[in-house]
Amino acid sequence: MPQPDDLSPRALRAELRDLYEDYALCLDDGDLEAWPGFFTEDCHYRVLSRENHDAGLPLGLIYCMNKNMLKDRVTALRETTMFEPRSLRHFISGVTVREQRGEHVVAQANFAIMESLSDREPSLNMVGRYLDTWRKTDAGWRLASRDCVYDNYRVRTSLIVPI
Amino acid sequence: MVDTDIWKPVALVQDISPDTHTLRVMLEGEAVCLYDLDGKVCATQDKCPHGNASLAEGWVEDGTVECPLHQGVFDIASGKHQCPPVTTDLRCYEVRVEDGTVFLRAEA
Amino acid sequence: MTCTHTESHEACASHAPAAAEQPIHIERRWPAEGHTRIPNWVYTDPAVFQKEMDIFFNGKTWNYVGLECEVPEVGCYKRNWIGTSPVVMVRTESGEIAVLENRCAHRGAQICWQNTGRVKDFTCPYHQWNYDLNGNLQGVPFRRGAMGKGGMPRDFDPKQNGIRKLRSVNRGGSIWATFAEDAPSFEEFCGAEVLAEIDHMLPGKKLKLLGYSRQLIPSNWKMYLENLKDPYHATLLHTFYITFGLWRADSKSECIPTGGGAHSVMVSHNEGKKVTEATSEMSRFRNDLELLDLETVTPRAEFNRGRVGGAWVFPAAQFGIQANSLKTRHVIPRSPTEHELVFTYYGYEDDDEEMTRLRLKHANLLGPAGFVSMDDSEMLTQCQIGVTGYPDARGVVEMGGRDTEPADYMVTEVLIRSFYQYYRQAMGF
Repeated sequence: MPQPDDLSPRALRAELRDLYEDYALCLDDGDLEAWPGFFTEDCHYRVLSRENHDAGLPLGLIYCMNKNMLKDRVTALRETTMFEPRSLRHFISGVTVREQRGEHVVAQANFAIMESLSDREPSLNMVGRYLDTWRKTDAGWRLASRDCVYDNYRVRTSLIVPI
Repeated sequence: MVDTDIWKPVALVQDISPDTHTLRVMLEGEAVCLYDLDGKVCATQDKCPHGNASLAEGWVEDGTVECPLHQGVFDIASGKHQCPPVTTDLRCYEVRVEDGTVFLRAEA
Repeated sequence: MTCTHTESHEACASHAPAAAEQPIHIERRWPAEGHTRIPNWVYTDPAVFQKEMDIFFNGKTWNYVGLECEVPEVGCYKRNWIGTSPVVMVRTESGEIAVLENRCAHRGAQICWQNTGRVKDFTCPYHQWNYDLNGNLQGVPFRRGAMGKGGMPRDFDPKQNGIRKLRSVNRGGSIWATFAEDAPSFEEFCGAEVLAEIDHMLPGKKLKLLGYSRQLIPSNWKMYLENLKDPYHATLLHTFYITFGLWRADSKSECIPTGGGAHSVMVSHNEGKKVTEATSEMSRFRNDLELLDLETVTPRAEFNRGRVGGAWVFPAAQFGIQANSLKTRHVIPRSPTEHELVFTYYGYEDDDEEMTRLRLKHANLLGPAGFVSMDDSEMLTQCQIGVTGYPDARGVVEMGGRDTEPADYMVTEVLIRSFYQYYRQAMGF
């Protein structure tokens, strides 16, 4: 299989763009069980504010330090969390490859998530950017690290579904 | 006779305002404030180190100049800051007066 | 435990009189049953909200502003709100932390426009009025006029026109302030039980800031206060607790109202997962579920030894421990129907890497995406919708009885009853 270095920048970006779309669809469809599949076993997944990110503060609203924690979050959401049903729609754009290092690619993209509740109009729920490190594995590209840095000053009510 | 490679003419002494006792001039791209202290001509940087203000618009009294923006006070002859909010001294320039013309010493 | 006070400089003549001098009178009658009932209008009436802001936040209370570690160097500032009033805390040249009104003494513009920053002094961008780090006015542009015309009147006195510095204290690294010059001392205000909880969390060690979490919840601020005085709901709504062994309804615990009901101390002792009568009664309990990453619900033994809980410090702050996660919670009322909830997470400078990692891991339990808290904001939203539709109806809080005495069990609403006993008296209902 071609190494990341072998792919032309345009081809690499196109491959990654497909993955960003697949990720969005997975969460929008509510297929939470498939969500951890985008990550490596030793992954880092964190949702944090731009405030914390810019100040170098490590605190995340969601902070998974391995794939098991991703699965646990799905379990908790399915089995223990009480929340109003909602429809979420990810809009991902601006996929950019920043750097290629052997089997790792550093990339980023913007996200905007619209939320619709049963008795309220759609509203912008979270907006920000993904700061990612993708790793080429035998199963294809997987996220070794994802920081979802949101621009929101505050999270409105709650953050139920991962970003 | 001054060596015009070192000493640059910037103004006539009579141009210094009799009301404010100051005059703002340019020396090689930098703004400089001239002061007439009862006949003695001094020169310091014109821009206050504390904020975006021209000391030429300030208040001169007893050998000191008070910045119009935040009332920071400097001693004119030495450039030393006198009171808050200013904490930095002014850069001073060497002055020569010949035949009513004010010369400032340029960088070598 | 040392406690340092800073005095505010002489009162400025330009102040509005303290709100307590002219309290709003509200034509409302509390339900006849008393503190076992909460009338819905406390969550919706704008006049009630304004009176709360005046009496509780601008009155004789001590209000949480921040932690010392948020402003490490001279000139570092952090802005916050006490009720709806913007304030800023700043590290001054002496090393002390001052709390100032975050508004220019001239025309009221907010002085600090960012959550945190570092300055040499404060300058309002509108007319460039310049203040030192203690709020003293030190520069007014064109004070002497320009070209010999204009300027401030000769008798303009900068000392009377500075930014007001609030009376403040530093307790173990936490900064509190009051608008009332005649408020009791911080120690007197808190009382022994609450003070002990604060000192327990802040034993004088150097703190390390880990980060912030902010949410905007569309409900009245008191609904959050009640939520944190409501151990009754904990294992019923947040089934994560009992499912994964973090808390049980029959755990050894204490609910202690203090300060006449304004403050409260709530403590529970974690004894792990066990199936008992109390647990299996809860219809959503699942005995077969385990987490893959058990560390998420397994604290490393620390000074608190499995003791979970903390104190609600009236009006709007909570100090508490959740596993290895140390944090302060602060409520900022934005309107009768909205409040902001800010978590400030911290550790100690001498935490090793693993402890810091655990503190960050356990933060997954709290905040807007927290395993034992995301349901709360969902629930408060629903409550606000319900009470708004029926402003003349009332809530019922009789779990555990009808009294306001301390309890040594958790299935009780005594802390909420005690709070409204205090509230009625303070608000004149």
